[in-house]
Amino acid sequence: MTLGEPGQGERTAAGSHRGAFSAASIRWTMRLVGLALVVILARLLLGNPIDLFALLTDLSDRLYLALNALSGRSLLLDTLIALPLENALVKGGPVGACFFYAWAAGGSYESKRRRRSILLLTLVAAFLTIVTTKTVGDNTFLPRPFVRSLPSWHLAEVELEATKTLTYRAPLTGSMANRFEALKHGEVDDTDLVSFPSDHAAFFAVLSLGILIASLPAGLIAALWTLVAIMATRVITGLHSPLDIALGLLIGAAILALVQLIGRRFAGGITVWAAQWTMRREAIAASLAFLVIFEAASALEGIKALLQAASELSAAAAA
Amino acid sequence: MRRGLLILLLALVLGGCERLDQRGMALMVEPGYRAEILLTEQDGITSPDGLHWAGDTLYIADEGGHALRAWKPGGPVRTLADQSAGLASPEDVVRGQDGTLFVTDDTAGGVWEMAPGKPVGKLGEAGGFPTEGIALTPVGTLLIGDTAGHRIVEFDGDGEQRPLGGGRIAKPESFAWDAAGRLFIADNKDNVLYVRGRDGKLERRISGQAGFSPESIHFAGEDLFITDSKHGKLFRYNEREGLKVIAVFAGEMENLQGITSDGDRNLFLSIQSDLEQGRGFVVKLSRSAS
Repeated sequence: MTLGEPGQGERTAAGSHRGAFSAASIRWTMRLVGLALVVILARLLLGNPIDLFALLTDLSDRLYLALNALSGRSLLLDTLIALPLENALVKGGPVGACFFYAWAAGGSYESKRRRRSILLLTLVAAFLTIVTTKTVGDNTFLPRPFVRSLPSWHLAEVELEATKTLTYRAPLTGSMANRFEALKHGEVDDTDLVSFPSDHAAFFAVLSLGILIASLPAGLIAALWTLVAIMATRVITGLHSPLDIALGLLIGAAILALVQLIGRRFAGGITVWAAQWTMRREAIAASLAFLVIFEAASALEGIKALLQAASELSAAAAA
Repeated sequence: MRRGLLILLLALVLGGCERLDQRGMALMVEPGYRAEILLTEQDGITSPDGLHWAGDTLYIADEGGHALRAWKPGGPVRTLADQSAGLASPEDVVRGQDGTLFVTDDTAGGVWEMAPGKPVGKLGEAGGFPTEGIALTPVGTLLIGDTAGHRIVEFDGDGEQRPLGGGRIAKPESFAWDAAGRLFIADNKDNVLYVRGRDGKLERRISGQAGFSPESIHFAGEDLFITDSKHGKLFRYNEREGLKVIAVFAGEMENLQGITSDGDRNLFLSIQSDLEQGRGFVVKLSRSAS
């Protein structure tokens, strides 16, 4: 099936089998990944002879160094890598388009309703993910990898422990080149000190996985874009470590799975009603979907700015 | 079952985040320094403000603990004076040639004198106002920062006082003399570093610079070291190189306060993590071999 043939796969028996097979594969993959992560994290928290935490951070650092080695070698490559970091259309546009494809794709009434239920729950999960990652990020002090290129010490109980320094290859162009130059003169943005978890990884992982559950082809494209343009570029440019990305992805995936489960089990009636409403009111629903996707393309930057302005106005009024 | 597993997974992920939290850090922009924590509340300090190194002793105006403390390397922290003597919010401290300690206090006001072998008391009637920065002049008189009057007051041991001319200073937080006898003044309200020449003229040496608000200043050789509590930065200034960031402190270590140095040019910094809860650090920055 191609993007130019919406819903075609769902109208054929072969397509139906393929869809069922894919859905089962995704479910089993998610179960295995989930189980593995539970085991890893349980050992991480409960302790074991091997310091798994040190092992994971070491692995993350190695992967970061390998990917960051791509930076600063070619102006063309650095320009391409900088695009999804600085251009909202490039960053979120493709994922938004995939979302819209899954939203508007054809098929039977029932398959369309099912897709919209999944996508509506995905939007709820995306919102909860932003709230969660913001809350975790505000309470977790961890500098970005490019900041760790300078010698630093961090608090460990009542001692200052030398932080492992990471070599950094700055890009030849783009905002990260400027930020690194500013860092060398002691200019550190507050956001450069709270890299964990990657809210972009979490947010776009939720959208991509939600689209993947609703529509395999669109979901694969969205997931690939998220992996390459959102996640990899952030590691290459030193904005995030692979651990920031992986745990952001994990938080997003867990919230998505939880919302999908709860949405179906306990709020199935509301979810079905909302999905059917979007089908009865196609024009209004499409307009609203446009607004949501427009905002999603910038990872909710517009809403964040509006909330910030509202907060400042409220503070000014109170004063 | 699946729901339970997911909730457990989410809880484990969020719980595991705690191990990544570094809480606070010192980032060295200028290479060649090594940072270590010298003193914490476990050693008997709370939220330190002004620091002064004299002889082999570090004197600490412990604002959160309402006390003046002293520490010698390898020894315990000693309390020289506290609330029982009337101290409320010790701001800055300096020691005279004869070993007398003078302490400012921006809550109780005035200047507190601790002469060797004598009880702690207020110095004359001078400085009934909230006091901030303190320094000894080359001729042995005291300079005191008067926050309420936006001025610097000079007075001698007999209690005679007079305002130091030159102009209005919003908050004279800290003073330092250079080798040429010029007085450097940190104003962390208007965010200005002033220089008062030997002729009494006040010059704005650094002002209106984004990301700069001088808290405490201290000369080590020809370099003026400046702490900035608002931006968590330690600066170095000299006329040849201008203003440079040495280190950035962040998280629980952002609120940089006092600064002093020993004879080996090691820097000592005080940090207030939580003034209300009485938490803070004294940090030593020493030149590393690498």
